[in-house]
Amino acid sequence: MVASGPFDFDLCSRNAYLESKGVKPPRLTKTGTTIVGLIFKDGVVLGADTRSTSDTTVADKNCEKIHFIAPNIYCCGAGTAADTENVTGMVSSALELHRYATDRESRVVTAMTMLKSHLFRYQGHVSAALVLGGVDLRGPHLFTVYPHGSTDSLPYATMGSGSLNAMAVFEEGYKEGLDRMGAVKLVARAIRSGIFNDLGSGSNVDVCVITRGKVDYMRNYEYLMDKTVARETPVVYPPGTAPVLKEKRWKINSTRPSEAAAGGSAEAMDVS
Amino acid sequence: MEAELNQAVSLGTTIMAAAYDGGVVLGADSRTSTGNYVANRVTDKLTPLTDKVYVCRSGSAADTQNLAAYVQLYLHQHQMELGGDVSVRTAARLAQQIVYSNKAMLQAGLIVAGWDARDNGSVYGVPLGGTLLKVPFTIGGSGSAYIYGFCDKNWKPGMSEADCHAFVVKAVSHAMARDGSSGGCIRTIVINKDGVKRHFLPNNEILAAYGELQPPLPASIAVGGGGAAEMSP
Amino acid sequence: MSIFEYNGAAIIAMAGKECVAIGSDLRLGVQFQTLATDYKKVYRIHDKLYIGLAGLSTDAQTLFHRFVFKHNMYKLREERDMKPATFSQMVSSTLYEKRFGPYFVSPVIAGLDPDTSEPYLAGMDTIGAIETAKDFMVAGTAPDSLYGMCESMWRPNMEAEELFETVSQCLQSGSDRDALSGWGAVVFVITKDEVIARTLKGRMD
Repeated sequence: MVASGPFDFDLCSRNAYLESKGVKPPRLTKTGTTIVGLIFKDGVVLGADTRSTSDTTVADKNCEKIHFIAPNIYCCGAGTAADTENVTGMVSSALELHRYATDRESRVVTAMTMLKSHLFRYQGHVSAALVLGGVDLRGPHLFTVYPHGSTDSLPYATMGSGSLNAMAVFEEGYKEGLDRMGAVKLVARAIRSGIFNDLGSGSNVDVCVITRGKVDYMRNYEYLMDKTVARETPVVYPPGTAPVLKEKRWKINSTRPSEAAAGGSAEAMDVS
Repeated sequence: MEAELNQAVSLGTTIMAAAYDGGVVLGADSRTSTGNYVANRVTDKLTPLTDKVYVCRSGSAADTQNLAAYVQLYLHQHQMELGGDVSVRTAARLAQQIVYSNKAMLQAGLIVAGWDARDNGSVYGVPLGGTLLKVPFTIGGSGSAYIYGFCDKNWKPGMSEADCHAFVVKAVSHAMARDGSSGGCIRTIVINKDGVKRHFLPNNEILAAYGELQPPLPASIAVGGGGAAEMSP
Repeated sequence: MSIFEYNGAAIIAMAGKECVAIGSDLRLGVQFQTLATDYKKVYRIHDKLYIGLAGLSTDAQTLFHRFVFKHNMYKLREERDMKPATFSQMVSSTLYEKRFGPYFVSPVIAGLDPDTSEPYLAGMDTIGAIETAKDFMVAGTAPDSLYGMCESMWRPNMEAEELFETVSQCLQSGSDRDALSGWGAVVFVITKDEVIARTLKGRMD
């Protein structure tokens, strides 16, 4: 296994061979997303929709796209789900160690720099498009980070497939020095415009308000997409409907849970 | 649209720098685009390398930002060893070396300009392949194609600071008027022995190419669909 | 052809009241040629934690053995079993390590929390993007028809026997519209003090 860098390229040659034989590469879970952020009077508001997709299938109807970076910094992620999850996780743990070493609050620019250098190193192949926001000793900060490793510092920002819809709302409604209520409402409106007008975005609105010394993470701030229909009489199959050929049951020793597992072989359980 | 947003973020740009009697003026538009979408309309393409040396960036946003960060790092380390400021020449040479040795990987057209005690104001062009050119003034980015003639005609050696600044602003605004990939506001920096001064010209204060382009004809007398492009009598 | 269609699979995991169930079909094929009809795609990590691996079966087996190895190493260090959420993270990082040359496997994890008996469900893509669910999780060669079944059949707070019937019906009906999976199924129901494993009869075409 390769020791340098976080990745292992062992299977690349095999997969390239398969691809050359006409095998299509697997479809990855994407967050065809609307994510936004803005700076208001006392801090930063981040917002995101909650749909994740695999091709045209909705893979998760209520996923979390606002990731924890540090107690004073959060980050919205769009792009390949695994990449956004891992890149934010990596920076988050590096910053935690950095705080232990320095005994100082993390800065937003530090997080931004770590993200951009990682993304730049992989030349856009780690496809994470991020909106990074937080409050540190120098006040509120908001950055967008692109997959190729470029960054922008802006008072209001949008990303993902619904970014145009959300930006239209921001360009119309953003003012300098908004109060908290106005900022949260504008962010929710921008996300809603993505949810309803962009097919890649959907479900609910998550909002995260970061102010000096306080974070208000409002998961499902607007719960828009409950089931609209439910079966009047849900189909209930009486026990014994499924044609059982064989059955095996065994008690779990709950007082010493590790013993059963340690003693038995960890092969697939034989049920014959 | 999706595919377009996933394109590399690019600084379809107008950048320039010009030396005057005692210093330099750097100028740039503020547009960053991904395909046809303007990702940032207030970009700062004038990036400090040291206190008195700046770089104008054009090409890929990711490449030039990270390149500039590396140059910054190496120059600061060098300054610590040196115990003083590096010259513009050193900064430009370092940038050029990095561009040249990574030219297959990078899409970066730079202009390095600044002030040092030995050379006064100086301007260096570092175009795509990694050449280093010491020049009295230079322009770069997609918008520069539209203003070569203007700059050749209007740049004069030994201008005053005010004249040089006016020249840069006028040149950039002409480029922005014609180049679709350039736009937004105009950012300029003046560097001389007294320090660094930034100027910002908001979009609504840029006279569309300083009133020197033919204004569109009123709709009532426009002829056909392309009437606006026709010359008035 | 997608590499996911090389061997064929249908996997469903579902949550009930203090219980979870996970099941798979039994077919193993090489494209349209059926090789085996007793090939389970659900693997036991310990009594309260199971993982279903859909996709290329050579990768599924390789991965399963790596998971067992890592779980054993964890047990030696910690003197306890992995909790489902911990195991999920381990699976995720194992897959993400191969971000640019992935295993062609999409896992479904089902387990019970050892302390609270709260159900845990998670699914992943080939590079380890975790997706947790409170209701159900599917994987295989016809995920859309499995989703469709689960979406209309699942209801909250099912007891173990109800859960078993629901999973069984979803799995069988879902895979009946998929040529690459079927030939019977196996379903594990995990409660806080018992595991029930049942083999089901299915269509053999």
